[in-house]
Amino acid sequence: MARSDVAQAIENTAPSAAVAQPGSAMMRSLVGGLVTALPVLAIGLAILNFAPTYYTYLALGAFVNLIVVVGLQVFMGNSNIANLGHSAFVGLGAYGVAILSTPLAMKKLSIPNAPFGFATLQLDPVSSALIALMVVGIVAAVSGKVISRLSGVAATIVSLALLIIVHSVFLNWTDLFKGNQAFFGIPKVVGLPWMLVFSVVVIVAARLFKDSRWGLQLRASAQSPQAAAALGIDARRLRLMSWVLSALICGLAGVLYAYFAGTISPKLFYFQMIFNTLAMLILGGMATVTGAVTGVIVLSVGLEFIRSIESGVTIGAIQLPQLLGLSGVALGVVIVLCMAFRPSGISGRHELDELLSRFFRRNAK
Amino acid sequence: MLSVEAVSKTFGGVQALRNASLSCEAGEILGLIGPNGAGKSTLVNAISGVLRPDTGSVKLAGQDITGRGPEHCARAGVGRTFQTIRLFKDLTVRQNVEVAHITCRAVRPDAAARIGVDQLLAQYQLDGFADVPAGTLSYGSQRRLEIARALALGPSLILLDEPAAGLNEGESETLAIAIEGIRRDVGCATIVIDHDLRFINRLCDRLCVMDQGQVIASGQTEEVWRDPRVIEVYVGQSAPA
Repeated sequence: MARSDVAQAIENTAPSAAVAQPGSAMMRSLVGGLVTALPVLAIGLAILNFAPTYYTYLALGAFVNLIVVVGLQVFMGNSNIANLGHSAFVGLGAYGVAILSTPLAMKKLSIPNAPFGFATLQLDPVSSALIALMVVGIVAAVSGKVISRLSGVAATIVSLALLIIVHSVFLNWTDLFKGNQAFFGIPKVVGLPWMLVFSVVVIVAARLFKDSRWGLQLRASAQSPQAAAALGIDARRLRLMSWVLSALICGLAGVLYAYFAGTISPKLFYFQMIFNTLAMLILGGMATVTGAVTGVIVLSVGLEFIRSIESGVTIGAIQLPQLLGLSGVALGVVIVLCMAFRPSGISGRHELDELLSRFFRRNAK
Repeated sequence: MLSVEAVSKTFGGVQALRNASLSCEAGEILGLIGPNGAGKSTLVNAISGVLRPDTGSVKLAGQDITGRGPEHCARAGVGRTFQTIRLFKDLTVRQNVEVAHITCRAVRPDAAARIGVDQLLAQYQLDGFADVPAGTLSYGSQRRLEIARALALGPSLILLDEPAAGLNEGESETLAIAIEGIRRDVGCATIVIDHDLRFINRLCDRLCVMDQGQVIASGQTEEVWRDPRVIEVYVGQSAPA
């Protein structure tokens, strides 16, 4: 009887069982990534064409968050290790291009005593970005060497330590980073179109990594380290790989932020950013790239709405009082509720394209 | 294929293995039995590289793999299952097998070429569930998936740690047929640990009996059961001379 059940089940899934070629798997992953990026592209194009300038500015911030959260997903989603240090890489990317690409006249005002000749060096934005990302990559490789040897809470604590170290350097190496004060005068060369392009690229890259053999092996080792080791999977190397890729994506977010805002300061790349982006990833669901995208969209819109009532609103004849700090409270509540009632987040285990193809297959029957 | 020579291992003050030796040839099914705490799982862990023995050596096809770590042993060709099932629960059934096959392809492409993931799934009656998360399978299917996954590694030795535990008679018979299939199709050396003696007797060419960290008897299945030391361990008294 069990045999006939199996035979039945085989018949039901026969069409989908036919695909297993490595090439087609990669193609499917690429298409899946593009499908996941579609809502982002649609929102971006809508804002670009119809929204007033103020919203464009808000959207740019949200797109930076999107890239950070996708970067965070690359490490957290696949290795299942909480990362509390990723905004250090965002900061390194941002300060990297700030130091390299700011016009000399501006530098004379802001960092006249910069060491290593940085005060008299000005590179074009693209080279600056590449060098900044190289620095991010090197810091990630070194810190990743430590983190990849650990797992669970120990790795998380090290990531937090990294954040604090980098932040202290930003604050105290005033000759180079201008300390607590804003670093201004960075060339504003990035607008919404570039931000959109990079968002799509990053989403597709994260999806390709997740579905690659390294992504699959890393996800396996996160679920059962012993079983993965018994299959010859080198979890450390894979954790290091995903850590560096994640850091590079976060670094890219920092580069883009600096290039659209023109002004940065250390506190931007500290706990507030960690909490914001972590809440977005947890809410959306960290197991999937779709989750990262969903979390950013939902929470960006939600937080903006909350911020608008934070300063007090008038509905008809009723004047609501100021509710300062409401967005912080809301963020915390989101994390708590999500952890308690839906730890896998809004999107759960499935990517957008997988959900869509299920939906259509079901309706086709 | 496998030769384990005089392996000893002490945990704190407890000697878990004392000079344990065994060998297993390609195409052979060896049963490793003994009471709880006899050292069977410790020996399996020593062979698969999870534990580094204090003394002694483990050789696979002439290659010394003693204490080289589980990743190294797996790449050298040791596949294994676990006493408590350890699947990648959120990955699909197919992905569980694929992830092993990918690793095999990277280190031993010739062995990987002989294995088909779909074929393994079909052989272990898992092809109907290929796209569901492994954690949602029934217990018996999970046991079979663990074996299919270990085989996707293209092993020259496979260690099955209590594969029939918790299975009913029908399921363990299906499992026995599947394990005999390994010999027929893969031809690797197979070591089976289990407490179900009927299952073991039906399946194994040779037995190796352990007690208190030592191998107290080994040989053809029927011969071993005539050994007075084995009878003492299992029945609790010496057989009349």
